[in-house]
Amino acid sequence: MHRHDVVVVGAGLAGQRAALAAIEAKSDVAIVSKLHPLRSHSGAAQGGINAAIGKEDSVDTHIYDTVKGSDYLGDQDAIEFFCREAGPTVIEMEHFGTIFSRAPDGSLARRPFGGAAFPRTIYAADRTGLALLQGLYERLGTESFTMYDEWDLTSVVVHEGRCQGIVAFDRRRGSFEEIAAKSVVLATGPCGRVYGRTTNSHTSTGDGIAAAYRAGAALKDMEFVQFHPTALLESSILITEGARGEGGILKNVNGERFMARYAPHVLDLASRDVVSRAIITEVREGRGFPGPYVHLELMHLGKEKIESRLQEICDFCRTFAGIDPVTQPIPVMPAQHYMMGGIGTNIRGETNIPGLLAAGEAACVSIHGANRLGGNSLLETLVFGKQAGIAAAEHAARAPAPSVDPADVAKDAATVDAMMRRSDGEEPQHLRIAMQAAMDSKVGVFRLPEELTAALADVRALQTRYERVRVVDSSKSYNLNLTDALETGHMLDLAEAIVVGAIARTESRGAHSRVDFPKRDDANWMRHTLATRGPSGPVLSYAPVTYTRWEPKERVY
Amino acid sequence: MAASTTSTPFEVYRFDPSKDSAPRYDRFTLDLPAHTPVLTALLKIRTENDPSLTLRYSCRSAICGSCAMLINSKSRLACQTPVGPELARHGKIVIEPMRNQPVVRDLVVDQKPFWDRYRKIEPFLKTDARDPMPVGRENPMTPEQVDRFHETPRCIACAACYSACPAVEADPEFPGPMALAKLYRFVVDPRDKDSKNRLVRIQPEGLWLCLRCHLCTEACPKDVRPSERIRDLKEMAIAAAGVSEPGSRHAVGFKDNIAEAGILNEFKLVRQTYGPMDLLRQLPQGIKVARKKPEILKKPDPIEGLDEVRAIYKALDPDAEDR
Repeated sequence: MHRHDVVVVGAGLAGQRAALAAIEAKSDVAIVSKLHPLRSHSGAAQGGINAAIGKEDSVDTHIYDTVKGSDYLGDQDAIEFFCREAGPTVIEMEHFGTIFSRAPDGSLARRPFGGAAFPRTIYAADRTGLALLQGLYERLGTESFTMYDEWDLTSVVVHEGRCQGIVAFDRRRGSFEEIAAKSVVLATGPCGRVYGRTTNSHTSTGDGIAAAYRAGAALKDMEFVQFHPTALLESSILITEGARGEGGILKNVNGERFMARYAPHVLDLASRDVVSRAIITEVREGRGFPGPYVHLELMHLGKEKIESRLQEICDFCRTFAGIDPVTQPIPVMPAQHYMMGGIGTNIRGETNIPGLLAAGEAACVSIHGANRLGGNSLLETLVFGKQAGIAAAEHAARAPAPSVDPADVAKDAATVDAMMRRSDGEEPQHLRIAMQAAMDSKVGVFRLPEELTAALADVRALQTRYERVRVVDSSKSYNLNLTDALETGHMLDLAEAIVVGAIARTESRGAHSRVDFPKRDDANWMRHTLATRGPSGPVLSYAPVTYTRWEPKERVY
Repeated sequence: MAASTTSTPFEVYRFDPSKDSAPRYDRFTLDLPAHTPVLTALLKIRTENDPSLTLRYSCRSAICGSCAMLINSKSRLACQTPVGPELARHGKIVIEPMRNQPVVRDLVVDQKPFWDRYRKIEPFLKTDARDPMPVGRENPMTPEQVDRFHETPRCIACAACYSACPAVEADPEFPGPMALAKLYRFVVDPRDKDSKNRLVRIQPEGLWLCLRCHLCTEACPKDVRPSERIRDLKEMAIAAAGVSEPGSRHAVGFKDNIAEAGILNEFKLVRQTYGPMDLLRQLPQGIKVARKKPEILKKPDPIEGLDEVRAIYKALDPDAEDR
């Protein structure tokens, strides 16, 4: 048995920032992660981090852009707090050692991004996530804390209405362990791998979101799934919005700059939901290339600009698609990219369970509402990671010692034991692939009621099959097949919550685009979806959106 | 757009120390388009053939650094290596765990030694209270100053360089290419207030153990070019601390020797490299070598074409005084 004041699960930007804040507040902190911190998916973020530090820009404009981008589903008090923290957060990361790209005068360079009125996105070439992850990891490395890396989270432990710690599986030793804690911060990232066509890493399986949901936490706005307009064909590797920020142009099979018809003012730099819908519409109406796909052209930017500002993109295109973006257009299609929804929290990262907190993409505060703006997610990890760390340390300072029960570990161990002893059963990877196929084909950019209903039936059938999941690998040492099984179980629960939320929401808002309800319906749907786990699936309820200064308007780009 | 596929044989290293007495190689044959990344093939094996095949992987886009392994004996990222060229060159694809790190299971290695050596270089920005950072704004840094990092910020800590490095294998004191490239990143950082001390400290702590074989640069999937950064560190270390270490004395002595005669005077070089105490310690080895190769004790005759050698020196360093 292990015991700490604060346990942070996940070691990406949100988790590390939470840990740092809790350490600075004098808590005894442990980080539990299935990956080494530098292997976290935060490192894959490319384009940049928003802060209205330019002379022409203002915090109010950043707030307005974020509110508008969210299609008025973001909580305005949270967005105000978030945008005010942006400047100090970026400066702090610079002071920690992050190597940002610079303007000729030595200040932080900024690039234009979709949905933003001014160039507001601070960047490190096209590897901003990696630069921030390195800077924060190096800073955190000067502090003392306990690291449990390559441990899989299996349960959040709740007794007496309070969070008491977690149960996790130590891959190296092959054992289940309880880690008792007064506060637990879940910063485990998204569940993008419920989709097959996703820009997310293979390990983005929503383990923390699922564990919170199973422990009684409410999930918020799970139906809002962002599809990034420009993922590389076939591999779905992300081509940053920064490519369009630097001047890249989308074209259809006729060579037409089609965004002129969808967003006449800002063209290719419209909000992501708008651009993704435009691409899918072009393809459906026969103006895509056979594949299907559309072109992202960078050639006119010139070799020097492409190779200096979009270095990783050049490498990706050359390595993974055999395309040289200096001389050839890049074939792209929208792919799942970001979960606006997640574990419902307030501004301090607190959930509906005392002692359980969440931050980063695993959480939903909500800043992004129905659609996230590019450059706001890296900022979110740091701003709300820090808040969650502070709140976790405060809670730990006044909470009683956690009460744990040997049954907590025994339960998870028994579940897995049954999987390993099953001589005949379902392969976890086969269930995962079937789930991804259902989500890709039926819960995409445009949503039809009959497809959503069919997807729910598919997911529930897979949940039934999952009851007979088996782990064929019998080894105690680094049993990845066991991880496959745990992750697939987590994702099936979350896929169900996404689809149930999407069926219920009979309007189109941000990234949730219902073909049968094409308009936003503020009278009935200006509210957050909350999903809690019932005996036969998610039970939905709704919560109001917080408004301060910005009245809902039609969203035009 | 279905690409044509080719029958692609794989031989994959398998070893579970908790069960197996010795490693074995499992054979799989897959029909794959030539551009398929090795990682995709390995995941196909996990899904379709053997779910117990164990490896580290995450992002599949060469940014998380998880999937470094030996592919036909070269340390590479599996996600970044297409099967086609490997098959064309080797007729099969042999997959093994990285070198210089003990095997945990199959392709998963224990990276603790790698991280331990990395931590030894103190990989964090060192500030100085007497020279504080600006309040409420960023430290100014010009694009030219950012360029001085070269490609070191691209490092994804995959350890391919560490796996490829013979000095890592030979000497536990050697920090390794990644750690030294990281050290370089801090040394050139205008915000770091300990750059000079870092250069002084690293000399006895392994900087000169690099063999200059450049295998790290060949292995690096992100073009960080660790060996070039190590070379830069050596130059900066001499500039900062003078020629005070056996390593730097050896490098400078080597250079002077060649300038003098166009050929190495090995006996002289040993004397130039080591101080009297170290020289004594080297004596038994020296005697052994001198017995086998007595000519090393003799001053070699200058080579023909010494003028040309000197012309090269002159071209490389026009300001150097004439000999």
